[in-house]
Amino acid sequence: MIVFKTFLKVVNKSKIPIILYTVILVFFSGFNTVTNDNSTSFVATKPDILIINQDEEEGITKNLIGYIGKNSNIKTIENEKEKIEDALFYRDVNYIIYIPKNFRKDFLNFKNPTIEIKSTGDYQASLAELLLERYLKVANSYHTIIEDEDALLEKIDDTLEVETKVEITSKLDTSALDKATMYYNFTNYCILAGSIYVICLVLSTFKEEKIRKRTIVSSMSHKKHNRYLLYSNGLFALVLWLFYVVLSFLVVGDIMFSMHGLFYILNSFLFMVCALTIAFLIGNFLIDKNAINGLVNVIALGSSFLCGAFVPPEYLPDTVLKIAHVLPSYWFINTNQTIKEIEVFNVDSIRPIIINFSILLLFSIIFILITNWISYRKRKIG
Amino acid sequence: MFFHNFKYTFKVLFKNKMLIFWTFAFPIILGTFFNMAFSDIENSEKLDIIPIAIVSNESFESNSVLKETFRYLSDEDSEAQLFSTKYTNEEEAKSLLEEGDISGYLIIVDTPKVVVSTNGINETIFKSVVDEVNQNSQLIGAIAKENIEKELKNNPSINPEAIYKNAIELVQKEKANIKNISSSNLSYTMIEFYTLIAMACLYGGILGTVAINQSLANMSSTGKRVSVSPTKKRNIIFSSVLAGYLTQLIGLVLLFLYTIFVLKVDYGTHFPEIVVLSLLGSLAGLSLGIVVACLIKSNEDLKVGIMISVTMLGCFLSGMMGITMKYIVDKNIPIVNKINPVNMITDGFYSLYYYDTFDRFYGNIIGLFLFSALCISISIWSIRRQKYDSI
Repeated sequence: MIVFKTFLKVVNKSKIPIILYTVILVFFSGFNTVTNDNSTSFVATKPDILIINQDEEEGITKNLIGYIGKNSNIKTIENEKEKIEDALFYRDVNYIIYIPKNFRKDFLNFKNPTIEIKSTGDYQASLAELLLERYLKVANSYHTIIEDEDALLEKIDDTLEVETKVEITSKLDTSALDKATMYYNFTNYCILAGSIYVICLVLSTFKEEKIRKRTIVSSMSHKKHNRYLLYSNGLFALVLWLFYVVLSFLVVGDIMFSMHGLFYILNSFLFMVCALTIAFLIGNFLIDKNAINGLVNVIALGSSFLCGAFVPPEYLPDTVLKIAHVLPSYWFINTNQTIKEIEVFNVDSIRPIIINFSILLLFSIIFILITNWISYRKRKIG
Repeated sequence: MFFHNFKYTFKVLFKNKMLIFWTFAFPIILGTFFNMAFSDIENSEKLDIIPIAIVSNESFESNSVLKETFRYLSDEDSEAQLFSTKYTNEEEAKSLLEEGDISGYLIIVDTPKVVVSTNGINETIFKSVVDEVNQNSQLIGAIAKENIEKELKNNPSINPEAIYKNAIELVQKEKANIKNISSSNLSYTMIEFYTLIAMACLYGGILGTVAINQSLANMSSTGKRVSVSPTKKRNIIFSSVLAGYLTQLIGLVLLFLYTIFVLKVDYGTHFPEIVVLSLLGSLAGLSLGIVVACLIKSNEDLKVGIMISVTMLGCFLSGMMGITMKYIVDKNIPIVNKINPVNMITDGFYSLYYYDTFDRFYGNIIGLFLFSALCISISIWSIRRQKYDSI
């Protein structure tokens, strides 16, 4: 009990960083709350467009704005140069359309006025450009045969209303699964950082020479002491994991009550075990208490960046992902990504997941073996 | 005495492994991670070739407009290539879609229909192109009809096929008159590296904290000995701080060299302005470190902890953990980032990179200067004429 009490005291000291990791986790996964909630009918992706209209909003100008507005999210931003430029840089808008003064008059007089645009160059912007180009082409083409503005607008509307039928096959709630995957990918950082930080702190506290000498001369047997220490650390990791699982039900929602949810939880449990063994390994060869902070940051941040906990793995360069294969985090995150894609759970579809689980377990065993070997060689005190 | 203290503070700082890790090594390590994680992200956001399939049944073969359009848009030698298209039967198209090999397929039964597995940008673009083809057929039809009617009034013997062909040409030739005037410096991941430099500037403040602690009588035994020595306090403090500043600048130069030559970060072309910004940014970090050292009466660990947390909070607000954060704060609560030294440095680099004018840059420079001046004044005011009867 005395070991456990001391353990709790040390854990209590490190509550601030753990709260911090958790806040960042909730913040990041809560960030993506604006998603479509059904996927059984097709919903077109809409780019964010800003229209700066220097013409009067009438006739063809109004019609153009209406068409763009129907097919995109129109953003309103104060008409100040700096604010507009910032909005483009930070991708608040993907595309800015400057409708020039006298656009309507010039258009009707066959002057083919130039429309200036600013674009972020990403796929949303490409989609926006597609919309604008299409409108202008259709308008120009009709204008060659129709002079009257009202008739022209009617024809344009008629043509642009033509839409293709779309059938959507997947019945998966992709947005909820995306969110769950993002959440669990991010726990990679929290679980790693949390468990390494606390367990290293505890182990190094118990390893301080004075304390260690006192422990050795105490009536408690060495084995018992070590066992308690192991239990306490295991309990801590379990509590940390449970906490993140409970939190996932709150943040992610209903999807956690499905088979998908079960696999996410199972996967994170295995990763927690692996993180525990990593923490033991580091705690065993770490001598300087001051180094813990640096080490935690390098290991947790490093494997999170390399394996795709922060940036989705599909955005990472291939070479980085190849290197990441040697890290347990890669297999954890890879499993999360696989779970997201599964439509029906059967032996075939969960085979890759089982393989990843085994790899995680293998990592854990390797870490335990190395830890034993190191601690065996370091038994003696000065 | 000035030089003596300067030299020894310099040595003490350089031999402190934890300090050197946080101020020299950590920013470089973090920069490497950023580079690995973000180097591809902007490219992945550009439009890729979209894999699709088309069910080549009779209706498709007879629809020349659709056929031509997809042949043109799938041409590997053309710059306009948008799709890589497989022509196949319905069964295979279905299985390709299930396997995730294609984004969707097109099948014509009476009217064209697009089949996709999920919502998404590729799917939207695919649908959009099919839309456009249909709209164009309608457009061509309408124009041809109008022209035929017009011609018929003058000349009863006309060639409808030629008119139809003309209409197709007209529609195809039509170009939207759009001019792209966006700046070429639009790479938002640069912000990550700017916050990194800003973080290094502020972490340099820890050096200031440690250096000042060396000469405060209530902090360390070295401080006690220094305080009873017959030397002007001004000299002691100033030389310690200068040693801290110099150490910090060495770290910053290393970071700059690493980010420029290894990570290929683009700082823009205004070299003198970058130097001024870095010097002032480091000064702001240093003054923050000094004010923390002077005002907080506690052990060194707590002071360093405060410096690290304040810096991390500042980094968070200026976009290190998510670039959007900087924009949200700038847009909604600008005052927070106006007084956040990390953001002043980040924003300074950003304005040099993105803006043609210097107004915003000078705003940041003035902000950093005022911040440093304020911190230093508070520090001087708090430690001048300090005396201890017993300690």
